[in-house]
Amino acid sequence: MVVVMEERATEEQIENVVSRLVEMGMDVHRSTGVTRTVLGAVGRGHPDKGLIEMLEGVHEVVRISEPYKLASRTFKPEGTVVTVGDVRIGGDEVIVMAGPCSAETDKQVRDAAAAVRRAGAKIFRGGAFKPRSSPYSFQGLGEEGLRLLRDAANAENLKLVTEVMDVSQIELVERYGDIFQVGARNMQNFTLLRELGRARKPVLLKRGISATIEEWLLSAEYVLSGGNNDVILCERGIRTFETATRNTFDISAIPVVKKLSHLPIVADPSHGAGRRDMVAPMARAAVAAGVDGLIIEVHCDPDHALSDGAQSMFPSQFDRLMAELRIIAPAIGRSICLETVARRGWGS
Amino acid sequence: MRTLDELRADIDRVDEVLVRLLNERARVACEIGKVKKERGIELYQPDREKAVLAHVRSVASEGPLGADAIARLFERIIDEARRLERRMIDGDEDGQ
Repeated sequence: MVVVMEERATEEQIENVVSRLVEMGMDVHRSTGVTRTVLGAVGRGHPDKGLIEMLEGVHEVVRISEPYKLASRTFKPEGTVVTVGDVRIGGDEVIVMAGPCSAETDKQVRDAAAAVRRAGAKIFRGGAFKPRSSPYSFQGLGEEGLRLLRDAANAENLKLVTEVMDVSQIELVERYGDIFQVGARNMQNFTLLRELGRARKPVLLKRGISATIEEWLLSAEYVLSGGNNDVILCERGIRTFETATRNTFDISAIPVVKKLSHLPIVADPSHGAGRRDMVAPMARAAVAAGVDGLIIEVHCDPDHALSDGAQSMFPSQFDRLMAELRIIAPAIGRSICLETVARRGWGS
Repeated sequence: MRTLDELRADIDRVDEVLVRLLNERARVACEIGKVKKERGIELYQPDREKAVLAHVRSVASEGPLGADAIARLFERIIDEARRLERRMIDGDEDGQ
């Protein structure tokens, strides 16, 4: 880090800062300028930026390296590919995950799985534990829901991503799902993240509703530091002053994350926009911006869905979106479920 | 007038002497690190660093560099000495 001292900092104040940095295990390079003194601190220590900023005479502290290590591209220059069976997230193919917000009935889950598989999705999404904003909203079916989701995914030869809300659910969710989803509200549930670091299935980590990209990558660091290298980041919109949409979908986060981190990133345009008619444009933009995958809510009867009906797409809308994405992806050197394209071209 | 090549050869010769002297100074710094470790003395000694800078300033008056430039150069030399002393105190051989 670089510590810029105030113009009128006394020699005593400068010495105090040097002394603290040395205590923290840093090698200090002091440059005394005509008006200001600048201290460069390098080494393997972990100086606390906030603590140095509070010292007297300090004008500014600039951190040079990212606070996260394992998640950074400096640590691992090539992109990570997370493999789930024969599905590769982070490769050339844009992987689409789709399904209902939550498991409600056997028929609802099976119909949705069949519809999204036909359109070209590789991974089925759906929740059995729902973290709802209100305690009076539908909370999910629990293990029964997990069973329904797994059966429907198996019937359509899809992988399953489903949410884990609490440490106590890890074992159960691991039994049924292929990818753990950590929701936006749990992004900074560090106890849960630490436990998932010990798990041996991939983790899809959604960005917290008010989280900066740095905080999000630090959360990924919790999972990675536990030894679980398969983390997929998921941009799902952040809270801003705008009220026209439920969240503001942060497209810019996609190239920023790609630059800072080697981890794959997927986008959730359903939550990002919060309105069915906004999902397709946001999904198209996300693919154009370079995401490795999409996670989209699709419901065969969204008007009667027990949760997130307003942002769930009809299967016909989802079909159309997939067709559009197949045109966009090749423009940036990506593919999107090619085999289905072939079937469509030669079939009906 | 001497050619550029001749002048550059001079620079190289002076640099060799400088490196030898800097290493001699560094070896002394390592000794100091050992003594500090034995006696449990703090690595960072601001008063001593100030005295070192004052001393080089006082002998810097005749050359074209001047006292300020000499002090700036010695700040860097002191930084490196501190790093070496830490290596002796921590018993850390790679010192990176």
